[in-house]
Amino acid sequence: MHVLLIEPDKLQADVYVQALQRNGHTVAHAVSAQGAVHLADEQTPDVVVLELQLPGHNGVEFLYEFRSYHEWLEVPVMVHSFVPPYELARAVTLTKELGVVCTLYKPETSLQNLCAVVAAAKPAAS
Amino acid sequence: MQQFGDRAQLNSQERLFLSLSEQLSRPLLQVAQLAELAADDPETAAERWRLVQIIAQSSLHLVESYALSLRVSGKITPLEMEPVTVSSLLYDTAGALEPFAKQYGVSLELDPALRMQPIMADRMVLQSAMVSLGQVFVLAQSQSDEPSPVHLNAHRGRYGVVAGLYGGSALLGKDNLRRAYALQGRARQPLQRLVSGPAAGVFVADSLLHTLAARLHVARYRSLTGLATTLQPSQQLQLI
Repeated sequence: MHVLLIEPDKLQADVYVQALQRNGHTVAHAVSAQGAVHLADEQTPDVVVLELQLPGHNGVEFLYEFRSYHEWLEVPVMVHSFVPPYELARAVTLTKELGVVCTLYKPETSLQNLCAVVAAAKPAAS
Repeated sequence: MQQFGDRAQLNSQERLFLSLSEQLSRPLLQVAQLAELAADDPETAAERWRLVQIIAQSSLHLVESYALSLRVSGKITPLEMEPVTVSSLLYDTAGALEPFAKQYGVSLELDPALRMQPIMADRMVLQSAMVSLGQVFVLAQSQSDEPSPVHLNAHRGRYGVVAGLYGGSALLGKDNLRRAYALQGRARQPLQRLVSGPAAGVFVADSLLHTLAARLHVARYRSLTGLATTLQPSQQLQLI
């Protein structure tokens, strides 16, 4: 699968990229919402792994823009963030509206878990 | 269950501590995941442990700076005022930041003005503040789509020697900083225009500078914006 990883911390991103590549995925990495849109434009991802806390436009703003394009409406998005679940719970409607398939709390998600969840994602039919 | 709005009830010291805790969960997660990767791939383990060392050192610096601000403000540790040459202070700051910046692919540019008057300050406090601030600027530049170097600069200003760190243009304004102080510990990204995450280093630096009767402020240097502090040159030391 082709994964679009949106992760502002480059060291953290390196770790995720290596783990995902080892599991047979290709990964495009963006540090910001704007960069992520450019990368998605170059190659439509099969799945997006998104940190909500981004510099400049945040992850929710990214989601609104991402979902505004017809061709990306069905791409599964996984929130993988430092925002804990009890804070995200307030945004359940929002995440449903924006097609977030799951939310993972970074401090409680091992690389193995992340890779397993990504592997289980069902890519949008092209 | 705790609600989001409860953060508003915390006092300033608790908010700083919360901000620091949230900041430190990031490098700790990096260490845990690097260990997970190293266990799976012993061939690259040496490189990963070197990275763990740098991450641990930068995190340790932030914790120590926070503790120092508490010790000094609580008068557990007295300030040790001495003549400090700002250019040498920035030079040492750049040296302390170098391994961290290198890992993030960010270059440091040191351009202090020559023949700057010395100031009276506690060198350790001032340098801890600058390094804490520098870590935030390195992260901010690494998170930019067009990274630029972090400049460490000192120059003469209207009210004294202005020493600080500068990044790309338009990263910060006075309003952003004022809002960030209000949001510190209350929002997860008080300096969203600059950097993702809690930016605890900015608030720790400000807390340290506060013990020296100084504050962080938004400053401009050439076309760059940054955060700096204004320090009073010692009139007596100029006569020596």
